[in-house]
Amino acid sequence: MVAAIQADDVSYRYGQHLAVDNLSLSVENGEFFAILGPNGAGKTTFLNMLMTVTVPQAGRIAITGHDVVSETAAVRRALGVVFQDPALDDRLTARENLDIHAVLYALPKQDRRSAVDQALAWAELDEVQSRPVRTFSGGMKRRLELARALMHKPSVLLLDEPTIGLDPQGRRHLWERIASLRAEGMTVLMTTHNLIEAEACDRVGIIDSGKIVAIGTPAELIAAQGDAAKTLEDVFINLTGRQLFDDSATGRDRLLSFGRQGGEFTR
Amino acid sequence: MSGAAAGFFGLDSSVIGIMWKREMLRYMRDRSQIFGAISRTILWLVILGFGLGAALREIDGYTYAQYILPGVVTLNVLFSALQCAISLVWDREVGLLRSVIVSPAPMLSVTLGKLFGGATIATIQGAIPLLLIPFLDMRITLWAIPAALGIMFFMGVAITAFGIVIAARLKTFEGFGAISNGIIQPLYFLSGSIFPLRGVIGGVGFLDIPAHLRDELRQLGIFAIGGGWVVQLPVFIQVLVYINPVSYQLDLLRYVLLDFEQLPLTADLLVTFGLAPVLAVAAAASVRTMLVKRR
Repeated sequence: MVAAIQADDVSYRYGQHLAVDNLSLSVENGEFFAILGPNGAGKTTFLNMLMTVTVPQAGRIAITGHDVVSETAAVRRALGVVFQDPALDDRLTARENLDIHAVLYALPKQDRRSAVDQALAWAELDEVQSRPVRTFSGGMKRRLELARALMHKPSVLLLDEPTIGLDPQGRRHLWERIASLRAEGMTVLMTTHNLIEAEACDRVGIIDSGKIVAIGTPAELIAAQGDAAKTLEDVFINLTGRQLFDDSATGRDRLLSFGRQGGEFTR
Repeated sequence: MSGAAAGFFGLDSSVIGIMWKREMLRYMRDRSQIFGAISRTILWLVILGFGLGAALREIDGYTYAQYILPGVVTLNVLFSALQCAISLVWDREVGLLRSVIVSPAPMLSVTLGKLFGGATIATIQGAIPLLLIPFLDMRITLWAIPAALGIMFFMGVAITAFGIVIAARLKTFEGFGAISNGIIQPLYFLSGSIFPLRGVIGGVGFLDIPAHLRDELRQLGIFAIGGGWVVQLPVFIQVLVYINPVSYQLDLLRYVLLDFEQLPLTADLLVTFGLAPVLAVAAAASVRTMLVKRR
């Protein structure tokens, strides 16, 4: 049986900085996998390589057996992606955002409407489907994005910090949605900073300086530390150190803060 | 072709259509854009046109307001096309485009949809000043309006494509001001939009030139305006005007609307209809490069 995600000796370097260092990882079908790591550990670069946005400089990645470089189209059809912050058009309604997705993934014309209807119902947003997304709360946007990512029936779901920035109710609700996918046998790979969520996953990989420093079920990881760790958080701190990981702001961060200040032409 | 830019080439009419529709929906929900077009029209055509027009009697037989009408159309096209193109930066970093990039849809079709969307918005925005034609005492033929709209669309494609080439290279942008001052205004002012290519008004005087002297001067090829006469532009401005492609697009627009041209018509046609497809290819290439170079 082919692994859902198979990464072999993958590396990526920005100038002098080795973001991903000879990383290998295999995620089985139906597995619920969490990637943990401090800021700047290479999580985002690795995720970008999985979603075919960044090309690995060394090594090879296959999603459901399809190579990310030579079989990009098949990989993209097999993946459902939810980004860390909403990748929605704020001026369009929920329905219009989903309509675009249906066309981009080339759903058959006669099925598009029902696929959008189903997604809206699944996200519990059918009553507000004609409201512009800019009027939605963070939790509503995240639900809409998750529903959108599932519209083309992907076999692997990539979630980048899916519950970040949500209130406890929204977090709980979204987590239940994700858990229901797990029951249906969906392969899910998520990055997270929330160690309680990570403990609920089948397996956890802790990544630091572009390398996997520990991998296994949450119980195995805690056990491997002996008396030094009682929770996954202890494991995480023991492995990645206590120093703060300060990143400088990227162009994207600056654009976001500009937008938050009500910057012109950012909507 | 591999990885980030894989599957770039590909024409899919439904993808082009949905991306075009997206631009149109965004435009319709943004009243500030229509307001901008109306306020620019009033500012330039009504206030400046009639205000300066009181001092400038005529330019080659046209009132000043008539003369700058095609210029105001051009200004609206420049603003809306570049605004549409520049939204790419935001869209790519934190907007919907991120999810478009990871979809199997060919990015060439996505780019074309945006390009046609920008051009359509530019045409609508550019048509707003044309509503004032009945008040400008112009004799206009029936075919002039569709011809003008066609020229505006090609202009819209060219300028949106040019904007995409810039936007694809911008890492971040903090405000439209730099784009407006650094790109739109030079293109606008150096296109013969507000003063004739032959020259600017010289010889400031408060006394009007008598009508018979005006006629005599005209026979000598000197055009008197108000209390002055037209002189040659400085060479460097002339050069800038002649290398500005917008000059030719605008000249064709003015030919269609006023039956008055200052540049060779062949050059106008060549630039207007030739530049749009060339820049469209450049825009597609820039988007491809942007995807390959993505961090």
